[in-house]
Amino acid sequence: MSFISNYRINQVRNDLELLLILAKRDISVRYKQTFLGIIWAIIKPLVTMSVFLFAFKNVSNIKDLGGYPIQLVIFSGVLFWNFFANAFQFSSNSILTNSNLISKVYFPRIIIPISALSVPFIDFIIGFIIYLILSLSLNYPISYQIMYLPIVFLFLSLFSLGLGLIFSSFAIKHRDFLQIIPLIVQYGFFVTPIIYTSNELISKSWFQYYLYINPLVGLVEFFRFSLIRGYHILTFYDFFISSMISIVVFILGLFIFKHKEDTFVDHL
Amino acid sequence: MNSIVSVSSISKKYQLPLSNKEVSKSLVNRIFSKREFEEYWAVKDVSFSLNKGDKLGIIGNNGAGKSTLLKILSKITKPTTGKIDIRGKVASLLEVGTGFHPELSGRDNIYLNGAILGMSKKQITQQFDEIVEFAGDQIIKFLDTPVKRYSSGMYVRLGFAISAHLDPDILIVDEVLAVGDADFQKKSLGKMKEVASKEKTILFVSHNLTAVANLCNKTLHLEKGYVKQFGETGEVLNNYLSAMQNNLLEQSFDHIEEAPGNDLVRLKYAKLTPALIGNQIIADVRNALKIDIEFWNLLDDQNLNISLHIFASTGECIFNVGTQPELLNKGVVQASLTIPGYFLNDGNYLVSFMIVKDKSIVLFNFEEVFNFEIADYREDTTWYGKWPGYVRPQFDFPIQQVSQKI
Repeated sequence: MSFISNYRINQVRNDLELLLILAKRDISVRYKQTFLGIIWAIIKPLVTMSVFLFAFKNVSNIKDLGGYPIQLVIFSGVLFWNFFANAFQFSSNSILTNSNLISKVYFPRIIIPISALSVPFIDFIIGFIIYLILSLSLNYPISYQIMYLPIVFLFLSLFSLGLGLIFSSFAIKHRDFLQIIPLIVQYGFFVTPIIYTSNELISKSWFQYYLYINPLVGLVEFFRFSLIRGYHILTFYDFFISSMISIVVFILGLFIFKHKEDTFVDHL
Repeated sequence: MNSIVSVSSISKKYQLPLSNKEVSKSLVNRIFSKREFEEYWAVKDVSFSLNKGDKLGIIGNNGAGKSTLLKILSKITKPTTGKIDIRGKVASLLEVGTGFHPELSGRDNIYLNGAILGMSKKQITQQFDEIVEFAGDQIIKFLDTPVKRYSSGMYVRLGFAISAHLDPDILIVDEVLAVGDADFQKKSLGKMKEVASKEKTILFVSHNLTAVANLCNKTLHLEKGYVKQFGETGEVLNNYLSAMQNNLLEQSFDHIEEAPGNDLVRLKYAKLTPALIGNQIIADVRNALKIDIEFWNLLDDQNLNISLHIFASTGECIFNVGTQPELLNKGVVQASLTIPGYFLNDGNYLVSFMIVKDKSIVLFNFEEVFNFEIADYREDTTWYGKWPGYVRPQFDFPIQQVSQKI
């Protein structure tokens, strides 16, 4: 009996090591053969923010969003969205891009979509540091509310991964699902309060229902709540609802993935 | 129950869309027409069990289900029905260098590949030097170079070196012996034998019957997904070989009207007989081959000879040999030829011959009269690669030491 449990423990440890080494592989390959390397992780969100800043300030003559510094609202939104978009896309594609592994060796398949979160995670950390610098330079430093960040980030990760698990499971048999992903990433950006706040939507009668359909609304506002001092548009109850929906999506993703993983290789 | 691997009636079904598949896959067509799938059982009702230390050879033609069975056993895919019980750690070498990332260095890839194959970081670190040494001197120099700059030989050697240092209870191997040059093959086989001598259980798929005969104590013969036979290697291989005998070794015609040929000559009888030794079932490179030919000559007073060609299965002519011309009259003409043993290499061969008049005019060419196979035979060998060439002569080739000074 002790042999069995020892074996299990070793197995779990090996699986964790495999997860780490696959994550390390993705991170170290990400910016290989680029001159600027990891600096791209800084440039990309800054460029996105600058473009919208240009449009808002010069074209629409908007000076602030919901009474909060426009740079912080947009940058935090972009930071949030980039993580979601990349985590969702990478994990959805991960089974197909690693098909050579899946068709040749057995290991728990879930390791692959989880390890796909590594690159978005590193990009997020770098973006977060940029955000800290930006907020200091605008005299709007973070407050104690930052302690909520790990919780929001956890729900965001679970939601992105859950969605990724669902899409990767179905995309193996029906590649149509891969066509949907860019649509979600492109248009989701505009229907979620990324470059604006929920202030503009909150009075609409459908807004409560919209929170159920798009848990990213609650999550991004909760995310901003943790980053921007005094930022408070939605209630904690709204956050709670979005978080629960994220968990449901994650569990659903796990369930579908578990159900399909044994036969992935037959459809590759 | 002592068995380490126990497989009870596993089957695997695939659904293949019927032809005009590209069209019927789209949604539009699916709505308007019934989806038609062809069911295909790659593996059907396979059962066997192995004890600790058994070495199982899995043989069968292409499409017999060998690869599917290995995929099921290594848990890469799940059987449609049936149950597998495997006790212990399984490693499968279905392809060497699985998961190598071209952008990463040889060093990083050793860790990556090792982890993918189920080694712990500690195990890899402990065996790192051994792996590099096994892979060869060249690798040491390029350890920190991305593997995309490696030659294909280096790539394969590094991949195999990692796999060879796995320490599973059950090892699943798919023809990795076919990698690398002769020198590396020898090294790999040595490693396999070393593993085999330990109490490891090995499942080995191969087309190379000599390797199976030498490495495996049990053999599973698959045919169209079913188990044709499972048992002791010697017995299964013998039956397998005799079943393979679809060779065309004899043609005989009683009535001249049905015989191939024309108004000038017609084939009466042709037979190829290998001079088998002991209880041999099929001919191998040692055996002499006797060819007997009889034909009807339909005209009087002809100056005829036979010109016989042997072709490799790839189409090249191996040699052409002719009888002396002879002045012959109407009736039956007979000729015979003996090809000595240790002349043709192992392989598939075709025999054609033509009847020639006056040394230059072809009266008729009898094409593909025989179609036969010669098996390989080696004694005391540690190398199982394909013996190159079309001929397999045993010339006197003495070697001796003439001095002990350098």
